[in-house]
Amino acid sequence: MIPLTWYLALSAVLFTIGVVGVIIKRNAIQMFMCIELMLNAVNLTFVAFSSYFGDLTGQLFVFIVMTVAAAEAAVGLGIIIAVFRNRESLDVDEASVLKY
Amino acid sequence: MLTVLLFILFGGLAVGCAIALVAQRNPLYSAISLVGVFVSLACLYVMLAAPFIAAVQVIVYAGAIMVLVVFVIMLLNVEEEVRRPVRLFHLVPIAMGLAAVLIGETAFILTLRGASGAPQAPNQQVGLTSSIGTGLFTEYLLPFEITSVLILMALVGAMTLARTATVARPETPGDFRPDSGLKLVADAAGDGGGAVIQPGKTEETGRAMAELQIERGEAAAPSSRPPRGEG
Repeated sequence: MIPLTWYLALSAVLFTIGVVGVIIKRNAIQMFMCIELMLNAVNLTFVAFSSYFGDLTGQLFVFIVMTVAAAEAAVGLGIIIAVFRNRESLDVDEASVLKY
Repeated sequence: MLTVLLFILFGGLAVGCAIALVAQRNPLYSAISLVGVFVSLACLYVMLAAPFIAAVQVIVYAGAIMVLVVFVIMLLNVEEEVRRPVRLFHLVPIAMGLAAVLIGETAFILTLRGASGAPQAPNQQVGLTSSIGTGLFTEYLLPFEITSVLILMALVGAMTLARTATVARPETPGDFRPDSGLKLVADAAGDGGGAVIQPGKTEETGRAMAELQIERGEAAAPSSRPPRGEG
């Protein structure tokens, strides 16, 4: 069988790719999708631990995380639409008024 | 070993799609890559004996959330990202060194802990839909209920954020509202000549407004046209 560490390593790789994407991307939608990728990497860790240790809690937590991700998608895309309506662009470098 | 081959297949697919997600400049291609990640993760969940989570992954993530994202991409007509020169180039060697340290640390811990007493086969009973349903509606009922409140808040928030701000605009003089701009128009003539706006009486108010406009010369008097019969 596959050792648990393989799943953890795969999850770490996916999470790191998501972090890199959030850092280097400037398009708001692509940053949003990288955040979803990070959430999925954490979900993989939860499910792997849950089924290897025979504990139900991890998979229930994944269920809750998916719900929160769906809510986050709705609100986040609403924010993206509002920003686009004001600025005609999705470049997050241009939406920097709060810095000053 | 079939399972090892399957893990390498789906894990490699997930990592490849994730790299494509970051590397693409067109957001729509990124979305397609993300769907690939979701589907291969669902296959991994099936291998982990978690069929319910796998189904929910496909339905909620690859179905609902990605449809929402693709809708927004299509709606906004997003342009491709332009390539820009790398800033802070002198920090790249430091970053690579720190990344090497982090990767070494992670690999050390994973190999070290892999030898210790973690069970080596997934539990087949935990991920069944019946056991998840039992846990969700008995022990974890409160988080489940709170989730519904969260979804309601997200619903209201999304509608509030994405709504177009409607401008209050009087259609007819009878549509008078205290906060609309109509009163200002009537008062602009000065103290004496303002028309009295009566809410709810469309015809009288309209006639008063028309007379006011004729007085000010903003509208032509009706005598220039043949008069129509009015009741």
